[in-house]
Amino acid sequence: MARLKDDTAQWIVLMGFIVSFSLFFLAIVLNQSTVVGQTTAEAVSEFPKEDIRGVRNVVIQSMFMDTTDQTRVQNEIRNLSLSRQDAVVSFSHTHDPIGPQSYYFIHYNNGVSAYNETWTFP
Amino acid sequence: MVNSGGQLFTIEGIAASLIMLATVFIVVNTTSVYTPGDTHINDMQLEVIGSDALKMMNTPENGSVGKSPLALIVENDNQTAFYTIFKNTLNNRTGTQSDTIQFRADVSYINATGVLNSTSLNRSRSLYGGEHAVHISQWIIVDKTTGSGILPDTVNGKHAALVEVLLWRD
Repeated sequence: MARLKDDTAQWIVLMGFIVSFSLFFLAIVLNQSTVVGQTTAEAVSEFPKEDIRGVRNVVIQSMFMDTTDQTRVQNEIRNLSLSRQDAVVSFSHTHDPIGPQSYYFIHYNNGVSAYNETWTFP
Repeated sequence: MVNSGGQLFTIEGIAASLIMLATVFIVVNTTSVYTPGDTHINDMQLEVIGSDALKMMNTPENGSVGKSPLALIVENDNQTAFYTIFKNTLNNRTGTQSDTIQFRADVSYINATGVLNSTSLNRSRSLYGGEHAVHISQWIIVDKTTGSGILPDTVNGKHAALVEVLLWRD
């Protein structure tokens, strides 16, 4: 401060600065805590965890049906995913020519999150 | 000017006022008021409770390979059973006071012409538009037999269907 000669006054000014800066940082910390909760909750809600698990389950169930049911159910799965969950779902399977295994390819994509899996049976 | 002391005081005063103004602006700006609804934390929790309850109903009893209670409820069009099981799973708490989660459940399916259709499963309350609801769903495979009234306008045999539930708190 201009022409401040007294030592005690300098201490008062210094403490004033320290207190105001600590208040300022506390305000920033408080502000960040709410934002952290919000971004976490939004990220959790946005990721289609349950949709992916559900599609995966129902696709695997559909692999063990007889052909008439299977064709119809699989078309319904693709159609329902697209119209009700805004997700493109595609799947196919091949048999191992030498081994006993079958490979099932499951793909899920809703424009933000994509999921690909090769499921082996047995 | 004989004495430059006044100028020093003026400059200091302006600097100090600018600092205070900037601090007030930043502090007011950073502590913008978030209401709990803005943070979507409640939505996330409601979604977790709901999908856990629905997933529990979509698990075959005793881990068998049979149909899940949810698929059986839809196959038999047993709306009362759905209401009882789902409402109790959602709202029962320790103690006598139960929770106040409300729901509205529908079954979405694809009809014989390939068009999306939907029938009501049950609801605990009507939706008026002011509710802040979250959406959860579970896939089921139902077997439609001759004479069964479920999933209108579809052929007999197995069908994929989506049980969709809207959840909100009163």
